Amino acid sequence: MVFNSITFLVFSLVFFPLYFALKGRPRLWWILGMSYLFYGWWDWRFLSLIALSTVMDFYFGAVIGRTDDARRRRQFLAFSMVMNLGFLGVFKYLNFFIDSFAALLHGFGLSVSMSSLEIILPVGISFYTFQSMSYTIDVYRREIPVERNLLKFAAFIALFPQLVAGPIIRARDLLYQMEEDKRFDWTRLYSGLGRILWGFFKKVAVADSLAPFVDQVFNAPETFGSAHLLIGVVFYSFQIYCDFSGYSDIAIGLARIMGYHFPENFNTPYFSRSFSEFWSRWHISLSSWLRDYLYIPLGGNRHGKWNTYRNNMLTMLLGGLWHGANLACVFWGVLHGLYLIAQRAVSPVWRGIVHTFRLPRWFDAAVCMAAVYAFTLLAWVYFRSGSIGLAGGDSFGTANQVLRGIFSGEGLSWGAVINKFQALKGLLLIAILLTVEASNFRWRWNAAQVGQPVFRLAAFAVLLWMIAFFGTFGGSAFIYFQF
Amino acid sequence: MRHAFWFLAFMLLLLAGDRLGGRVMQRQTDASQFRYSRLYNGRGEADIVLLGNSRGLTFYQPAIEGMTGLRSINLSYNGLPMDLAGVLLQDYLDRYPAPQKLLIDITLCDRDNRQLTAGFLPYAPQSQRLDLLIHHADTAAWYGARVSALFRFNNEVFQRALYYRQRSDADWLLDRVIAPELAAAAAQNRYEIEVEEKRIRALAETVAAAHAKGVQVELVIGPYFPGFQIIGLDALKNAAGQATGLPVRDYRAALNDPALFGDFMHPNKNGAIAYLELLQKDRVLPPPQSEAN
Repeated sequence: MVFNSITFLVFSLVFFPLYFALKGRPRLWWILGMSYLFYGWWDWRFLSLIALSTVMDFYFGAVIGRTDDARRRRQFLAFSMVMNLGFLGVFKYLNFFIDSFAALLHGFGLSVSMSSLEIILPVGISFYTFQSMSYTIDVYRREIPVERNLLKFAAFIALFPQLVAGPIIRARDLLYQMEEDKRFDWTRLYSGLGRILWGFFKKVAVADSLAPFVDQVFNAPETFGSAHLLIGVVFYSFQIYCDFSGYSDIAIGLARIMGYHFPENFNTPYFSRSFSEFWSRWHISLSSWLRDYLYIPLGGNRHGKWNTYRNNMLTMLLGGLWHGANLACVFWGVLHGLYLIAQRAVSPVWRGIVHTFRLPRWFDAAVCMAAVYAFTLLAWVYFRSGSIGLAGGDSFGTANQVLRGIFSGEGLSWGAVINKFQALKGLLLIAILLTVEASNFRWRWNAAQVGQPVFRLAAFAVLLWMIAFFGTFGGSAFIYFQF
Repeated sequence: MRHAFWFLAFMLLLLAGDRLGGRVMQRQTDASQFRYSRLYNGRGEADIVLLGNSRGLTFYQPAIEGMTGLRSINLSYNGLPMDLAGVLLQDYLDRYPAPQKLLIDITLCDRDNRQLTAGFLPYAPQSQRLDLLIHHADTAAWYGARVSALFRFNNEVFQRALYYRQRSDADWLLDRVIAPELAAAAAQNRYEIEVEEKRIRALAETVAAAHAKGVQVELVIGPYFPGFQIIGLDALKNAAGQATGLPVRDYRAALNDPALFGDFMHPNKNGAIAYLELLQKDRVLPPPQSEAN
């Protein structure tokens, strides 16, 4: 079930009244049942996967928490890792590994026939396995107590707003909230609705409006000139941002109405002045997960320059692989790893220039933001082409063709842009988005609407008008579902 | 009670703003220079009417008017389906004196296009025929436009109307030269046309409606990139010829120079001019006025 569908509207109208009417265990059963219905609407067969993962991690967590025997604790943590990563390995990466192995043998002149398996990727598997893993790891580290109530644990894993596309919410942030008695609250309703409407605007008005232009560019890059390709790539950067952060906004809004607090998952990432800042603003729940469970255990930045570089690269490489089981997505991760490493070398030089020439602060910020955005854009080209790769296309070929086209400079004028009306619409929507996000630093729009009914009236109406005027209502799925 | 009051006020504001916005957008649509705005606002009178999908955009109006000295209106649009083309032409014939000529590129019979048909919602209040077609093609969008006036303008057709608000759309044409690597791969690419009876019937009805008004109708197949394969074109040509009783003039292989194409399916501006010269030479297009007199 996707948020941008009539089915979900009906689902919400059924879910919320009973949710607030129930208390205690019946409410937890209601959450679990409806969350499984939400997920099973896509393919009920994969409910068994979530249920198995839930029961097993609950059990592993209980064993780890019960014993002080370090060996046994390690052993059961390993069981949890093997199970979760095993699910991911089979359902998400097996075909990729088979194809890569065949390509490797081919590279050595050995021709083998290895047909890929017909494996369906369960929606959201990367999200809920990471969420479930965080529980056993945190119990192992003694950072959270063992959960003794299976129903509560199952409801925590399955909670529908974040089940299929995040944010990845860790046990330490959410499990304790499942115990609280949630009552209906008008303030939370308005605040949640504000986030939901803004999320819908980002998804159906911005992301889905930019999608056709982007699709044209990546489906046949050889047919377009430099300016058209560049606009297409810029549009993709906003398409994926609005698609994913729109989902997070809706999830956070829904949770807020229910009485839960979900951490923020995006914080205007394209205003970042460094790559490390970018990763503290983009998909925050994943980057902090990777930081806490991978980067820091690897040693973080504590053991010298080269180890830090290695840890940066490994973390980003696995981040890329998390996003997509194809080489283009891995390359996207590698690029970001390289950016983080290069930043450590370049940043002191730039600081020196700023200091020596006493460059104004705004100029410093603008240059840094532009540079980070430009390199992020470059990486997005490979990432987007990787999405084509999932469908069997030549990811690197497409990405290189797009970049060659842009840097060729042929057709680098507004006149050479095809479907200018579409480009203008996209630019207008991006301008609206950036204006709201930039002014939000000062005005805190959502908080303002909660306190001022007249402003709320106007803000909600404007959002609905914009959704009616710009929205795309085909019920297209969110990009991050495939991860 | 307080919340009910705010909810009511919100609904009133939402509705009023939506209707007001819809009215503003309708004014923009009516005042536009876009071809369908001219068709429905009484500024579309022409001697030659041109009809096709994106390939029909090759009927490059500035060249036609320069070559013939006659006024033209091109009702072609990317992916225009035959049923919608028929409605647009009949609306034209209802509103204006009969033109001398009607040129139809019959490759517009190759598909249905529900989404584009719904995109003509901004013009639905002007034509009951169009309104009915949209209702039939996309009922959800039709009802959506009843609920929200702004939603009626949430489509590509309106965006183009806005784009051509202050400028002519007469030179709307793919004006670029096909990339050499793409041109080299022409033989490996193909396009398949499915011939469907209802579309051929719509074509025949359109031709009959034009004939009833005394309009001379010419059916053509415009040029394709040399070596590019079109599957089903002969079947379409035969079906169109049989259904209408008219000869179909076939220019699919009329242009051999790759530099005259923007892609496999579309001649560029130079290609369009070369094609139009051929049409005039074959008297599909009227001769220059001086010669005719």
